[in-house]
This record gives sequence, C-alpha cells and structure tokens, in this order.
Amino acid sequence: MMDRKSKIKTAGLVLVILLAIAGGMKVGSFLPVIGAHETPANIYLSNYYIENAMEHTHAANIVTAVLADYRGFDTLFETCVLFLSGVGTLMILFSKAKVKDKTLLKKQQEEPAEPGEKILREETVGSYGGSILDAAFRIIMPIVMVYAIYVLFHGELSLGGGFQAGALLACAYLIDRIVPSFESRMGEIKEENMLIVAGIGTFLYAFTGILPMFFGGNFLEYGKLPFGRLVQGGAAGLHAAGILMIEIGVTVCVMAVIMTILEVVLERTDFDDD
Amino acid sequence: MTEMIDKLEFFLADRGIYMLSFVMLAIGIYGMVVCSNYMKKLMCMNILQVSIIFFFLTFGQKEGGTLPVALAEVLQAEEYINPVPHALMLTAIVVSLGVTGVGLALLMKIRDIYGTIEEDEITGKGGGK
Amino acid sequence: MPVLLLEGLLLVALISIAVSIIFEKNLLACTIIYCGFSFGAMLLYIIVGAADVAFTEAVIGTISTVYFVIAIKSINRRCK
Repeated sequence: MMDRKSKIKTAGLVLVILLAIAGGMKVGSFLPVIGAHETPANIYLSNYYIENAMEHTHAANIVTAVLADYRGFDTLFETCVLFLSGVGTLMILFSKAKVKDKTLLKKQQEEPAEPGEKILREETVGSYGGSILDAAFRIIMPIVMVYAIYVLFHGELSLGGGFQAGALLACAYLIDRIVPSFESRMGEIKEENMLIVAGIGTFLYAFTGILPMFFGGNFLEYGKLPFGRLVQGGAAGLHAAGILMIEIGVTVCVMAVIMTILEVVLERTDFDDD
Repeated sequence: MTEMIDKLEFFLADRGIYMLSFVMLAIGIYGMVVCSNYMKKLMCMNILQVSIIFFFLTFGQKEGGTLPVALAEVLQAEEYINPVPHALMLTAIVVSLGVTGVGLALLMKIRDIYGTIEEDEITGKGGGK
Repeated sequence: MPVLLLEGLLLVALISIAVSIIFEKNLLACTIIYCGFSFGAMLLYIIVGAADVAFTEAVIGTISTVYFVIAIKSINRRCK
C-alpha cells in the first residue's frame, strides 16, 4: 500500500515525464538529425581542428590538442574553477569539528591498559577492511600510480590527459587513506599544505602561458617557448612540450584538490570502529 | 524485422535520443525539487549533469566516424568524430566533482548546525539553535 | 550496427535507475545505485564515441561515490 505522499510523488513524476516527452518531440523537430555529416556543428571549426591538429601540435589525440592547445585559455580557467572549489570547501569547513565523544576519549586515556586487553585490540583493529583488503591494496596501489603516470605522459598520443592522470593519482591516495589501518598508512598530509600544492599546479599552467611572452610571443603561444634546442620537430615539437607542461600542472591541481576535499570531509566524520 | 529496426533507428536519430535525454533532464530537476534529503538533491544534480553532457556529446556524432585519435598522417575530417564537444565536456565532468565537493561541505555544515539534513525538518524548526 | 538503438536502450536503463534513486529510502543504497548510474553513463559515452570523456567519468564516478559514502558515515542513513 502506498501512502498519500508517495502517490503524489509518482503522479508528479509521470506528469513530468510526459511533459518532457512532448517537449523533446517539439525540440527534436528543429535540432539536426544525429549522425548527419552536414550539421552546423560538424562543418565549420571541427574540420580545421581534425585536419591540422597532427601537423600543428604532434598530438595524435585530437581531443587533447583541442583541450590543451587550441582552447588552452579555456582550460586554464577551468583549472582555476577546480582550485577555487578546493579553496571553498576548506573555507566552509575551516572551523575545527567539535569532538563529540570527549568523555569516551578521556575514559580510554584514564583506563589502565591491561596486557591481555591490549593484545586483543591489536588483533581486532588491524584494518578497516579486513586482512584481504589490507593485502590487496598493496598490490593495487602501485599499479594505479604507474598507470596514472603513463596516462599523463601519453596523453597526447592515446586516450587520457591531465585530468584523468590527476584523478587516478588521487584514487591511489584514496585507497591508501581508507583501506589500511592507521599504523600501516603511508602518511598523512594536512589539507592546507595540499591546497598549496594545488595552487602550485595552477601556477605552473599560468607560468607556461606567460613564459612565451618574454620571448616575443602571445599568451600560451607554445611555439615561442625558449627550449627549442631540447625538442625535436621545430614549432610542432615545442607545442607538444607546452602541452606536456600544462598537463603536468593540471595533474597536480586535480590531484591536490581531490585530496583536499577528501581530507576535509574525512576530518568531520566520526569513525567509531568499536 | 530489419525494416522495423531501420524505422526505429530513424526515429531515434531524428528525435528519439533528444526526447530521452530531455526525460532524464526532467527527472533530475524533479528529483531536486521533490526529494527533501539534501544528499539526494546532490545525486539528482549529478543526474542532471550527465543528461546535459550526453546532450552535448550527441552533436559530435558522425555516421561511420571513429574515435578522434589520429591513425594516419593525412587526415580526412569525414572519418573522425567531432572532438570539440568532447573537449568541452571533459572539463565539465571534472568541475562537477568540485561542485559535488562544495555541496558536501555545505551539507556537513548544515548537519553541524541543525543536526539533520532533511529539508522539511529544518524549515519546520524555523531557524536552528 | 545499430548504435542508436543501443544508445536508446542504455538511456532507458539510466532513466529507470534515476527514478529508483528518487524513490529509495536508504541513503547507502542510493549511493551504490548512483555508482551504477555513473557506470552506465560511462558506457553511454563510449557508445557515443567520446572515449576520453568516458575515461574521466569512470574515475570521477568512483571518487564521488567514495565522497558520498564517507559523508553518509556521519549522518542519519534513513531518509523520508
């Protein structure tokens, strides 16, 4: 039997779906047919990108070429938005969480630890996820990190790029933070320090943009980067080097922001593993 | 049978896919309005984002096109899917994670001040502690 | 190959998952269903041809699920 509230909910849902179907039929009549080659989105700009990306930037992955080179200014501010979201999270939750179970903590400290009880505790509080997860994370974590580095450095040749590499590195940290017990953890980083790292990543991006300006180029004009002797392939090689530089910046920023949010939210939760 | 599949394909290409993504958008908005739990509101916001991202990606589709990773030195624009919507939406997904993080931070703050994250309980109390 | 048919089927599946998120009462179950939703979205992006976007969605979906689970730990798990 449904109560009245969920009945209203269901009726509203059906009404909304019907309205959306009607709206979609109407809108579909003036949007282009999916898969057609001659739609406005497919004939003007994208053809230029597809045909010239390889020649201009030596990046086989055209998405990376568009993201990091042709639309680098756009991506710079997207990175800034991500950095600001990290700052915002830290600012909202800046005041320290009140310790709820102060009495419990005090009791534990005052209690004289009996030897038998201590051994029992060491056995039970081995890890959050049990011994299987505790053993598995040691195998998974280095593979994830190596894969992240691969994705970063091959971002212009195959699928991937800065965003994915940063998220994968943060995934490795996340596994380390959640699965093992406190003693076998790699180490804890304070979230303020992590936010500084994110700022460094964003600065690396902006610095790559400013650097060509000292050598007679425009903002983010990778062809005027000063290390022409180190790179083969002339201007296109320099473009590839510039893409790699900003991808490293994006990686550092994304990784640090995800870790910041994780730490901030984890600090406010009370894990009572009793 | 194949005739029917062809007809269905044409309907989907013409307006069916747009219609379905509109339905998903509407469900996201409806969930954000109806659900009284703030965490559910965040999840519905993510559903809304997925529908919008998918709507953008459909513009890049080409019949017979492959992934936008170059296979040869000389490229024909006809053979590859349009990469511009992909590049735009890639950043949108990552920013959506930042939005989720800020939303969760606000949620924890609300939980600290009001003791609950149900909307009707908070408005019923009328002003916190 | 009927690509659009596959897309339509996946979209219908995603819509039903979204409806089940709205009607579910247990927040932890909601979060796990959301994880499934983001996995379905990843499949959808691959079929559309956006492999980069799908890669990002796979990683980001996992991370946001973990965020939700961590946040649930300190709030009431039932909801109205």
